[in-house]
Amino acid sequence: MMDPLTTRPLALLAEVTYRCPLQCPYCSNPLELGRYRKELDTSTWVRVFREAAELGVVQLHLSGGEPLVRRDIMELVQEASRAGLYTNMSTGATVVDDRKLEQLREAGLDHLQVSLLDTEPESNDRLAGAASFDRKRQAVLGAKRLGFPVTLNVVLHRQNLDRIAEVIAIAQEWKVNRLELAHTQYTGWAFRNRAALMPTRKQLERAHEVVESARAAGTGGVDVLHVLPDYYFDQYPKACLQGWGMVSMSVAPDGFVLPCQTAREIPGLEFPNVSEYSLEQIWTDAPVFKRFRGTDWMPEPCRSCDKKEVDFGGCRCQAFLMTGDVNATDPVCQLSPQHHLVDEALKEAEQDAPPLHFRVMSS
Amino acid sequence: MTQKFPITYPVLANGTRYRWDKVRNQHQLVFPEGMMVLNEPGRAIVKLCDGRSTDDLIAALKETYPGSEPSDDVFEFLDQLAERGLIHDGSVDD
Repeated sequence: MMDPLTTRPLALLAEVTYRCPLQCPYCSNPLELGRYRKELDTSTWVRVFREAAELGVVQLHLSGGEPLVRRDIMELVQEASRAGLYTNMSTGATVVDDRKLEQLREAGLDHLQVSLLDTEPESNDRLAGAASFDRKRQAVLGAKRLGFPVTLNVVLHRQNLDRIAEVIAIAQEWKVNRLELAHTQYTGWAFRNRAALMPTRKQLERAHEVVESARAAGTGGVDVLHVLPDYYFDQYPKACLQGWGMVSMSVAPDGFVLPCQTAREIPGLEFPNVSEYSLEQIWTDAPVFKRFRGTDWMPEPCRSCDKKEVDFGGCRCQAFLMTGDVNATDPVCQLSPQHHLVDEALKEAEQDAPPLHFRVMSS
Repeated sequence: MTQKFPITYPVLANGTRYRWDKVRNQHQLVFPEGMMVLNEPGRAIVKLCDGRSTDDLIAALKETYPGSEPSDDVFEFLDQLAERGLIHDGSVDD
């Protein structure tokens, strides 16, 4: 068995709050948000950041919810940066103005990631559940003026995929450094909305062509990342997290530490809390981090598969949500005995989409 | 040797910075969503990406590593950095 400290975590996702002014229907936060209203205080987060740096974390991702709704966010950024962490923030950018951007810059934020739901303002605002397009645009332009590297994050699904050319154009127009075109991962709210979000095969094929031809033509300084949806394109599942408990960990707003931010949806797993243990104790000793680390836990067909150290059995959350068994091979894998579940979801995608359920805070 | 990305005054791009990792005892170049482990010469080059010309950069490297002829390796490394958007030309506006 591997020594977990030989592979120390490189990344920490700090979900500093689940509060958010937006209602994105594919949010990766838990469905029962009302159950998790408690939030760590400032000094505990600062301790977590210092412990993370000591443990070997290089990249810190401040996220949420909307991290900027926390009143102590500038202090959190400053202390993270002081601890030596490369500090990224993912924001919906609806509660930020030029002054706040300047404060973030001064506090030492290294990289800003702004979400955009669609290039059509009306569709963006409808999907977000709030007028937000103009604010997002202002925030991107303001951040660029201040010298931030900016990534535009666009989650793709059947309701915006046909405008992928416009997404690339807007990224160029706003002069962002990176554009992340990530297809919806069907966990959290997205799993609940899967039938409304899953694109058709025709949509996907066209989108793929658009991205490839834009790349061939040159994207004018914008680094375009296109994460293809595993339901459609992959023979084998994605190497989720690059392996459970191998390179990253997440801290939820209430201090519970998860190998992945959506792992809370898996019943029966017990998560340690930063109020009781140090991050190093959790990384090395917590049963939940050991549970799917390495390959010993694997069932067939993974156990005897020569790809087992390539994809690590795929995504545990996806396996659980689709099959009800957290130990199962990710059904995206063609070798999975339950691969028919993916085919059924794809068949459903060829039907008319049902209405969306928007993210709400009630329990 | 020709440069694919003819950068005459290399400067680290916004959001790209050098970092000493005291846990792993490594020189690192960190940037959005990524990290590159640097060897000693790599670190020396990155530290010299401060807006001086590539000629001056190579001259400074020769002082650090007497007896070396670093130019081809340097251009290859600078090309690598430029291709990943980690440096740009300080004499040209972004």
